[in-house]
Amino acid sequence: MVENPSVTDERNGSAITEDEAALYDRQIRLWGLDAQKRLRASCVLLVGIKGLGAEICKNLVLSGVKSVTIVDPNPVNEQDFVSQFLVQRQDIGKNIHINDICHDNGVKFFAADVFGFYGYMFADLGEHKFVEEEPKIIEASDNESSRSDGEPKAKYRKVDVNETTIVQKFAEFYRLKAALACKLDNRTEKILKRLPSVYFMIKVILRFQSQYGRLPQTTMNTGERDNLLTLRDEVMKELNLDVTLLPDEFASHCTAEVSPICAIVGGIVGQEVVKAVSGKDAPLNNFFFYNGLEGHGTVECFN
Amino acid sequence: MASMAGTSEIYRNVLGSDLSQCVENAKVLMVGAGGIGCELLKNLVLTGFKDIEVIDLDTIDVSNLNRQFLFQKRHVGKSKAEVSRESALRFNPDANIKARHDNIMSPEYGVDFFKQFNVVMNALDNRAARNHVNRMCLAADVPLVESGTAGYLGQATVIKKGVTECYECQPKPTQKTFPGCTIRNTPSEAIHCIVWAKHLFNQLFGEADADEEVSPDTEDPEAVGAAGEKAVQNQEKEDAIGGIERASTRTWAEDIGYDPVKLFNKLFNEDIKYLLSMDKLWRKRKPPVPLDWETIKKACNNEEKEADNGLQDQRVWSPEECSDIFSQSIDTLKQQLLARGEDLVWDKDDTASMDFVTSAANIRAHIFSIAMKSRFDVKAMAGNIIPAIATTNAIISGVIVMQALNILNGNLDKCKTIYLNRKPNPRKRLLVPCGLVPPNPKCYVCAAKPEVTVFLNTETLTVKTLEEKILKERFGMVAPDVEIEDGKGSILISSEEGETEQNLPKTLSEFHVGNSARLKADDFLQNYQLVLNIKHRDNLEDDVEFEVEGDVPAPRPLSPEPGPSTEPEERENQAAAGDNDEVMIVDEPAPSRKRKADESQQEAEEQQDMETAKRARVSDATADEDDDDIIAL
Repeated sequence: MVENPSVTDERNGSAITEDEAALYDRQIRLWGLDAQKRLRASCVLLVGIKGLGAEICKNLVLSGVKSVTIVDPNPVNEQDFVSQFLVQRQDIGKNIHINDICHDNGVKFFAADVFGFYGYMFADLGEHKFVEEEPKIIEASDNESSRSDGEPKAKYRKVDVNETTIVQKFAEFYRLKAALACKLDNRTEKILKRLPSVYFMIKVILRFQSQYGRLPQTTMNTGERDNLLTLRDEVMKELNLDVTLLPDEFASHCTAEVSPICAIVGGIVGQEVVKAVSGKDAPLNNFFFYNGLEGHGTVECFN
Repeated sequence: MASMAGTSEIYRNVLGSDLSQCVENAKVLMVGAGGIGCELLKNLVLTGFKDIEVIDLDTIDVSNLNRQFLFQKRHVGKSKAEVSRESALRFNPDANIKARHDNIMSPEYGVDFFKQFNVVMNALDNRAARNHVNRMCLAADVPLVESGTAGYLGQATVIKKGVTECYECQPKPTQKTFPGCTIRNTPSEAIHCIVWAKHLFNQLFGEADADEEVSPDTEDPEAVGAAGEKAVQNQEKEDAIGGIERASTRTWAEDIGYDPVKLFNKLFNEDIKYLLSMDKLWRKRKPPVPLDWETIKKACNNEEKEADNGLQDQRVWSPEECSDIFSQSIDTLKQQLLARGEDLVWDKDDTASMDFVTSAANIRAHIFSIAMKSRFDVKAMAGNIIPAIATTNAIISGVIVMQALNILNGNLDKCKTIYLNRKPNPRKRLLVPCGLVPPNPKCYVCAAKPEVTVFLNTETLTVKTLEEKILKERFGMVAPDVEIEDGKGSILISSEEGETEQNLPKTLSEFHVGNSARLKADDFLQNYQLVLNIKHRDNLEDDVEFEVEGDVPAPRPLSPEPGPSTEPEERENQAAAGDNDEVMIVDEPAPSRKRKADESQQEAEEQQDMETAKRARVSDATADEDDDDIIAL
């Protein structure tokens, strides 16, 4: 990635050593040597190291990135040179500001969090270039078998699963500000019903944070649940949307970081960071939502 | 990882006091402490599980360390079960973890062992162990969470006796095998040459198998007839003059002291010339070009070596380099054979074994005008390596715990089969839940009185093949007893040592087992009985020894279907041509007969989800594992 000067290799040449090849064998076989080379030249700043942050950190260190710098939410140095930015938890409000700085400076930005049985990831990779491997379409060669039966050549066009070509691609991302301010009331009911309800839940939790100065705390406390539902009604009304798009059950399942949910969301984030820094494969654009009650994980673009 | 302080309270809050109580009291078994296992064990202790048993027979390898994060370099060679226990205890010293460095298929772990657990979680990498644990959990009536990953793809499902499909309810695609004459006479793809080279390894250094001949096959149906006569004459001449005994490659190699030049000239010159004499074969094919040691040395001597751009393994060797490495590896393997005094077993991680297969396969590929491959690529195909990454395992292990929580909470109805796709499907789902499917009433494992029909030649098939290849390999039994349903209850095979060994070399017909015979097979450990209805066939397609009614053939290697992407794991899976015990395979817990995508929306949309889920499954059809899974070709 040209916009990322850290890629200019600081180790001696860009050659991967035999030891690294042995260690990373099973993933080099998946994403290739070039992607691994870019990974090992990438620096990541990770803000927040609770359950989800630990999962992400583990996944990135395993992948072989050059460095992961971990900071607690407070002393964020906006001037830090980074190729990645990950923010979670209390920073949900600050995210917009940090994201703006990253976006303006060509730094890949991710935000992610887990709330009870739910989780999400947001990505702003700016103007992102990447490559994808696509199956090679091969023309039938002039071998004797195809000539002898006189079939037209076009009939022999087929995909050779043994051969791929590398295709350059491009994706445009949006700022978190735009993603959260997205107008939805002009969409059809059918489309609205398909939107992941976790998106609305995040808005409710944002509102809860700004109102109470903390995250919702316990699901056994009906008062807290009522507060969440009141805020839900408020948020949905402002969006001019039906409250049923975020069913009540969220209010009983949206506190604390549940370990398996952290593993799932942390796995998704880890893989997306690998894609972003290696420039290999299409990134998820721009939200991923996981709903642990239903078991589904959905990608949706809000802007 | 996360601080454990106050965890119980947090979980009481988030899981509810009933569920958190269930979790604290639950006794769970985790089978496998590899890629999925490391992630799963971490999740279990962090979720508050207190009573966990871990079993794995494997030891730690350096190629595990890119994802099995409970292990470090200093642990290489140690027990996965034991090291994972030590590492996980650091996250939660209060957990009671019992580690067993052992094989779950050992008779020690009977039905009573399985009955102790509230839930069993598989984190396995091979079909044999999955089949076995499936049967043990059915026999013990314990819910099982089954899972698998391959590269970016993964899945997890729940198996409960009488409620859901079992692991074996739907036939799984059998391993891709190649007809003997393609391997011996007319290779057209690199994989054919690699299979040939592995067979050659076994012929020269390992346990020779009659199915693994490497010399020209004179009975090739394509070559017989008038055109074959020339070949037959030549053979007579050759046998008389050259004295090459085709029956035993091993004896001949020993007689010539494993002389690399003689081996080279026999395999890559004489045998190829012999193939050329079977002229019918080459009417529509490009004929092979015989090589000989002297010319390859001379011709290639002045050839410039390609500039070294990094890893040796990633570069395709020239024919000259191949011949050097062929020669060197034979010397090394000869020494190994002498030092060991017993047959060698091909191992992708043994340098000389891997060098031998790479060089021999590439020389053969060169002769047949097939593109040569790097050692890295040959290793993937010959060793059937399934790429594996931490993130996929992390996601699937999280899903496994969610399934276990639903089971413990008594919400089996909320359990689903969850697929992790590589890309969002048309419904934008990356993680796709599908409803669980009820048991297949015709399942040869979990049906009340399971029966199968097997086609075979009763005149030639031996009792040994029945035991090893049909009952053990194909039907997953560990120690079968077999009785003939002839009204007399004649015992064909006994699992007691020494009782029926004398029967093994005999054919079925010698025991009056013919067309329409019924054999009752019983595995005591698995508490599993299966009736085999025998149908006699004189010949079966592709030279197979037997065929099971309803089996799904392996996917074609060259699919005309333009998929959205070609993943390395798919390519490698197609290479899976093995037939041995370390096979790792698919695990799709269940194909999509009536799979319901779990959304209460339009059917058409559901269809899309199903399609995608199905595709994910098909794509990892021959391998769905996480570990260093090997399939001998």
